[in-house]
Amino acid sequence: MLLVAACAVALSLLGAVRAPRWWLASLLVGSFAALIAGAWVLGAGVAWEWRSAFRIAGEPLHLRLDGVSALFLVAVAVVGGAGAAYSREYWGDRAHPVSAGAGRWWWSALQFCMGLLLLCSNGLHFLMAWEAFAISGYFLITLDRQKTEVRSAGWLYLAASHAGTLGLFAFFALLAARTGTWDLGPVRDQAGLAPLFWLALVGFGVKAGMFPLHIWLPSAHANAPSHVSAILSGVAIKMGIYGIVRFSGWLPSSAGTGWVVALLGVVSAVLGVAFALGQHDIKRLLAYHSVENIGIILIGVGFAMVASVHGHPAWGPLALAGGLLHVWNHALFKSLLFFGAGSVVHAVGTREMSLLGGLWRRMPWTASLFALGAVAISGLPPLNGFVSEWLIYLGLFDAVNQPGAAVWAAIPAIVLLAMTGALALACFVKVCGVVFLGAPRAQSAKGAHECGLWMRGSMVVLAAGCVAIGLVPVVFWRATHSAVAAWQGAWGGDPAPESLATLGLIHLTLAASAVAGAVWLWRRARRGGCVRGPTWDCGYAAPTARMQYTAGSFAGIITEWFAWILQPRRHAHRPEGVFPRHAFFEEHTPETVLERVIEPVGRGVMLVSGLARRLQHGSVQAYVLYLIVGLAAVAAMALAWCG
Amino acid sequence: MIAVLDFASRLLVWLLVAPLLPGIINRVKAWVAGRQGPPVLQLYYDLARLWRKGVVLSTLASPGFVAGPAVAWLAVVAAALLMPLGSLGGTLSFRGDVILLVYLLALARFCTAWAALETGSAFEGMGAAREVSYAVLAEASVITAVLVLGVQSGTVSLAAMLGPSAGTGSVLLAVGLFMVLLAENCRVPFDDPNTHLELTMIHEVMVLDHSGPPLAAVLHGAAIKLMLFSVLLVQAVLPLGDMRAATAWAVLVAGVLAVTVAVGLVESLLARYAFRRVPLLLTTGFLLCLFSLLVAWKGGSA
Repeated sequence: MLLVAACAVALSLLGAVRAPRWWLASLLVGSFAALIAGAWVLGAGVAWEWRSAFRIAGEPLHLRLDGVSALFLVAVAVVGGAGAAYSREYWGDRAHPVSAGAGRWWWSALQFCMGLLLLCSNGLHFLMAWEAFAISGYFLITLDRQKTEVRSAGWLYLAASHAGTLGLFAFFALLAARTGTWDLGPVRDQAGLAPLFWLALVGFGVKAGMFPLHIWLPSAHANAPSHVSAILSGVAIKMGIYGIVRFSGWLPSSAGTGWVVALLGVVSAVLGVAFALGQHDIKRLLAYHSVENIGIILIGVGFAMVASVHGHPAWGPLALAGGLLHVWNHALFKSLLFFGAGSVVHAVGTREMSLLGGLWRRMPWTASLFALGAVAISGLPPLNGFVSEWLIYLGLFDAVNQPGAAVWAAIPAIVLLAMTGALALACFVKVCGVVFLGAPRAQSAKGAHECGLWMRGSMVVLAAGCVAIGLVPVVFWRATHSAVAAWQGAWGGDPAPESLATLGLIHLTLAASAVAGAVWLWRRARRGGCVRGPTWDCGYAAPTARMQYTAGSFAGIITEWFAWILQPRRHAHRPEGVFPRHAFFEEHTPETVLERVIEPVGRGVMLVSGLARRLQHGSVQAYVLYLIVGLAAVAAMALAWCG
Repeated sequence: MIAVLDFASRLLVWLLVAPLLPGIINRVKAWVAGRQGPPVLQLYYDLARLWRKGVVLSTLASPGFVAGPAVAWLAVVAAALLMPLGSLGGTLSFRGDVILLVYLLALARFCTAWAALETGSAFEGMGAAREVSYAVLAEASVITAVLVLGVQSGTVSLAAMLGPSAGTGSVLLAVGLFMVLLAENCRVPFDDPNTHLELTMIHEVMVLDHSGPPLAAVLHGAAIKLMLFSVLLVQAVLPLGDMRAATAWAVLVAGVLAVTVAVGLVESLLARYAFRRVPLLLTTGFLLCLFSLLVAWKGGSA
């Protein structure tokens, strides 16, 4: 199956530029084959391994597909396939004659490299796949490279990505030096290797976009074409999570790393959603939500690491299962939301939410599918986001009830996870309300049109995934459970918690009765006579669309609470005098970490290097002077030493 | 068969008793103010009348404007059915049902706020923004209260959590939960359920454009939510699980009545707080729950 997948994706590389239909067909076949392979490994709970007889770069190829990598491979296959179908309409040859072919080629390359990355069990080949994956990501982000902001976003992505890769180079090299082989595998018994995990955490953390290392993420996701944002956010950043999960399972565990991962998770979750609330650009907002969801995943993973060190097999698997299921869930609903945002951008031509409004009338499909994604990402029952958060909560509550140091971390984590949920809800009520409901705020929003069948179809597929995991979670427990068992063998064998089946039953009932109830109330309302009139608005006679609450005003209360970190910039001209002529208010939330930390540090480095460059000016006399001064200093030191 | 009967009788209790509570509150307020006041059953009459009426829809509203109240009502009823009633226990008690309950209430909030934004009215946008913002603090308090009960009982299931008393910290927990009850049910001093023409409103302003059967669903859902929080408060604080069945029922009913009267008294004697101070008040509620958690956690081990 994997061979079929690899061949099909490789074939799609050939047909990418000239034959879009051929490309799409072979990519879909490849994705489907990879999906089957991943599902088989997860369902059967066995691992597949293969070593080649030939050598690449001096090392034999070693491929391994176990529970952990299969879980991520399924996400790659589903989102990759859906995104390819979406791009057929969204980034077609007619609208983008130059970049469409390149986009298809790099899309196949990205998917191929991610698959390879997940399979590689050799440090050297892993690094190669990682680098190729990062570079295909760069070319996809900068498809529209006529625009300045796209180029700068791409550059920031490339710089951050390589800074992370630097950490990975060090990590794999040290690992190979210590173990004596590039081959990767469980080395839990060599306690001396534990500190290497810090390097891996930095290297993979940059890619995953966890909080202080997320600087590249918002601009890259916002400026990339929407199907690229979807795969970047849904799957590509998960490769960082994959690295963290993989090596936290293989390396010997230390207590400190688990605590730090959990702490980073909590910080990313809360601050990610706080930054999201401050955004006006719909795709930038979704990008910050990726930081939040990565945080939720890391909470699960971090607590599982703590549990494995302290020997609590009761709640560790629950937290890890929740975190890993959230990997799938986030891949599904975040890609769905980016596709929805993409079809809005496609229809209206702007990402600025304050210019939108009332789009549901023109785009009923996009609006309802986006709403479904919004309910899912806010972690509300009966959809999938709730299932994974519920599993994490169960793990944390059990941690509270066990004696041990974990209580100290579990209590704040539970409270902050609940607050994150409420903040995400606030944020998505804002997005849905401002973009799809109410009256159009600008002329462009009035002329919107619904997206076509390809875009709609791929959104429906992802939405169906969200609904399926929400309504029958027991089926998907098997998959996460295989991954948990692959992470740490001792944790295998747990059947699905009984309450998971009950939860699925309640979700089914709730979903069915919600549909029935809504239809019934609608009919009832119409039967008594239904009159259409203007919004009452407390009797205001001449409401205009500009009087509606905007994205900024909706989130105002919460952004005020987080002003200490968001540091919003305000430009205001207050109305003055009896007949004020002119007044405006503008607020903008910058990327605080980038502008307040990274840029000053960068400027400092440039300043120091600039000073150092003055020594290098090409005049021979000065170099002779340096030599003499240097020799004199050495001589003085030698004399002082001997004397 | 018994399970079906049990389910049906619970549903009837929640649906039929809930509208009584706002009536009692109004009665208490009238009594304190020396007025005659509306009949206790006023909300029943209102609901019956609204249910028969037609609706006026905003030209901007999508079908979600009617679906919102329907789903919100269902979510609140589902949450209520998860809540154990005295010695009866829960309908479907399972590990982690308490988290489902908290998130069902969040689902109701999402739907109400969604329906509010349908109309494009500045007032309703304002109300929705305030509701979802203050809910962040209320949610923190609720989950802390749940933690208190979890630490007390060592479980994550409502029926087991609500059986024993909350121990030494129960006074703190009671006050904290009471504050959450006032905030979540839009009561003075957080909100004023009587006015909806001022700029100072949270919840009432969100439902300005609803009429007819959807408004009935909104009002009935609000009444059930008030009863849900009162039942939660009483069961969290009093050790109903240790009593005999009949006593437990009597205590539960008396407790809910006492909470309702207390809400009425607070409403009569306090003025609504300025909006700037609402977050402070909510934070106070959260801190009370947090202190109660510390007492439950450290008090248990000492």
